[in-house]
Amino acid sequence: MNQDLSVMMLTWEFPPRIIGGISPHVYYLSKSLARNGAKVYVVTCDFPGAPQHEVVDGVQVLRIDSYKNPSPDFATWVYLMNVNMQKEAAALVNSLGGKIDVFHAHDWLVATAGIGLKHVFRKPLFATMHSTEIGRRNGIHFDYEKMIHETEAWLTYEAWKVICCSDYMVSHVRWAFGLPEDKLVMVPNGVNTEVYAGHGEDLSEFRSKFALPEEKIVLFVGRLVYEKGVHVLVNAVPKVLEKANAKFIIVGNGYMKEQLSGLVKSMGLVHKVLFTGFVDDETLRKLQRCADVSVVPSLFEPFGIVALEAMAARSPVVVSDTGGLSEIVEHDISGVKVYVNNPDSLAWGINRILIDDGFANWLRTNAFKRVQEKYNWDKIGQQTSNIFRTVLNEYSKSFWAQKNEMAGSISSQKIDGDV
Amino acid sequence: MQAAIFSWEYPPRIVGQLADYLKDLAVQLVKNKVGVFVVTYHDYMTGLHDDPEGVKIYRVNNPVRTHIGVLTWVLTLNQEVERAASNIYYDVTKQIDLIDVHDWHFIPAAVTLKKALHIPFVYSAESLEDHRSHGANSPFNMAIRSIEWLGTYEAGKLLAKSDWMKDEISRIYRAPVEKIKVISPNSARWMKDILEAYRDVAGGATH
Repeated sequence: MNQDLSVMMLTWEFPPRIIGGISPHVYYLSKSLARNGAKVYVVTCDFPGAPQHEVVDGVQVLRIDSYKNPSPDFATWVYLMNVNMQKEAAALVNSLGGKIDVFHAHDWLVATAGIGLKHVFRKPLFATMHSTEIGRRNGIHFDYEKMIHETEAWLTYEAWKVICCSDYMVSHVRWAFGLPEDKLVMVPNGVNTEVYAGHGEDLSEFRSKFALPEEKIVLFVGRLVYEKGVHVLVNAVPKVLEKANAKFIIVGNGYMKEQLSGLVKSMGLVHKVLFTGFVDDETLRKLQRCADVSVVPSLFEPFGIVALEAMAARSPVVVSDTGGLSEIVEHDISGVKVYVNNPDSLAWGINRILIDDGFANWLRTNAFKRVQEKYNWDKIGQQTSNIFRTVLNEYSKSFWAQKNEMAGSISSQKIDGDV
Repeated sequence: MQAAIFSWEYPPRIVGQLADYLKDLAVQLVKNKVGVFVVTYHDYMTGLHDDPEGVKIYRVNNPVRTHIGVLTWVLTLNQEVERAASNIYYDVTKQIDLIDVHDWHFIPAAVTLKKALHIPFVYSAESLEDHRSHGANSPFNMAIRSIEWLGTYEAGKLLAKSDWMKDEISRIYRAPVEKIKVISPNSARWMKDILEAYRDVAGGATH
């Protein structure tokens, strides 16, 4: 158990503030660590209507003022927000008598706060790199991007261990920042299967709002941007329809939406392709449970959480063989892998599942089992706290740990002096 | 008493009038038996150095080499100032009685050190963003002003070099006048007043 372990997580997003994948990741990871007996403090940005301080399933959440400082651009806002974040986090650590064992920063968005707290309290810093600027932009082209890239490099330099969610990201981050191999550790992202449990509920009425009873449902969920490969899916539609009757449901928004719906119109497929835009969580989960095939045709994908969600919802998956997706899916066992950026290959993969119910059920069963074994949050929380423990053991032999004890006695005298 | 002085300029790096003034201040403090660590920026002369007059100088540079403006440069550099001050605190002196932060650049570091290690600070305002930018209201100027405000709010005492500056600090940032002390560098009482202000803040009388 972890009764003696205290963790402070730094993240720029935590529910109800949800911008991308970091928010649910930190939410489930923190809860899992707390369930395991650790004391977990999350310091994050504020959100309209969310309390400044609350306890979420055993996790202490502190929301800091993140909009007080006017800023000329996003990056400056981030660095200014970090000033407030480390100020509030430092005060919190102090109110706990300095009893925080590790700081854990998620992405460059909290890099400077994490680095600062590491040095003022002399405790180990961990960094999870969810993504990189060089990956997002497919290269570093401008000073703005270079500054963020160098901030990421600095965070990985200051961190005791750098955590990545896939083997693909481990090698990418190692390459991007020139890190030694033993500094990197892979802990997968997780998915909560509970939220997809149907409890015997009948979805046929829900399904009829999206597709005819004789149509199979092919589902895409994601931002409508180039690297997600939605255009590859649209180009695969005619080939799928040669062999099976299906409705293609595309959930999400993005800058390519108009271009994509124009393409669908010009192909005469408006009656077969439905763009829903953003949908709420409940609708999304029901759609994932209804889907006869879930498609992830990404051109670039650090992890591919949407494939895991489909597997948790017991929907068979077809993924392009790239990045984190290559690791999540085992071909012909827990899903079908197809060539990247290849509509023929994608149509082939979709049809194999649509015309063979036995194969579809085989994939469903295997995939769900895989998700429960490898991608469940309890296991991920344990792996993470094991990493913390290993490092704390190394740390206890460092000169920082010994100096800290001496300085600690001085600062507690000073606290008494203040009172 | 152990004091740390934070400034973005100190000889041999001279940007304006502050560098030479701070050299004088540091040397006089040492003569008055105050242990002085100057934490400042230099592009390559980094690390801890003793100068012949007994002032210890810890120079840091910025690990992030590429920037889009002075604000991102200053804000990231603050982490290195914080790291240097922490190294002094843990490895050299075991105690810093107060920090004297000159102008806005390293106020964020001083604030974190106050919250984390209970080190009080005085904010010595050489100039203010309102005057430097002639009252411009762009987000850039407002961001710097928000940092100056944080300094006036969190500091144990504010040191001004003239009555005019005292009025301006009070007018712009609504700082209570009793928190602001005027110490003229030309006055005969200069060092005596500085030492008195330091002792007040280090002793916890005003914070």
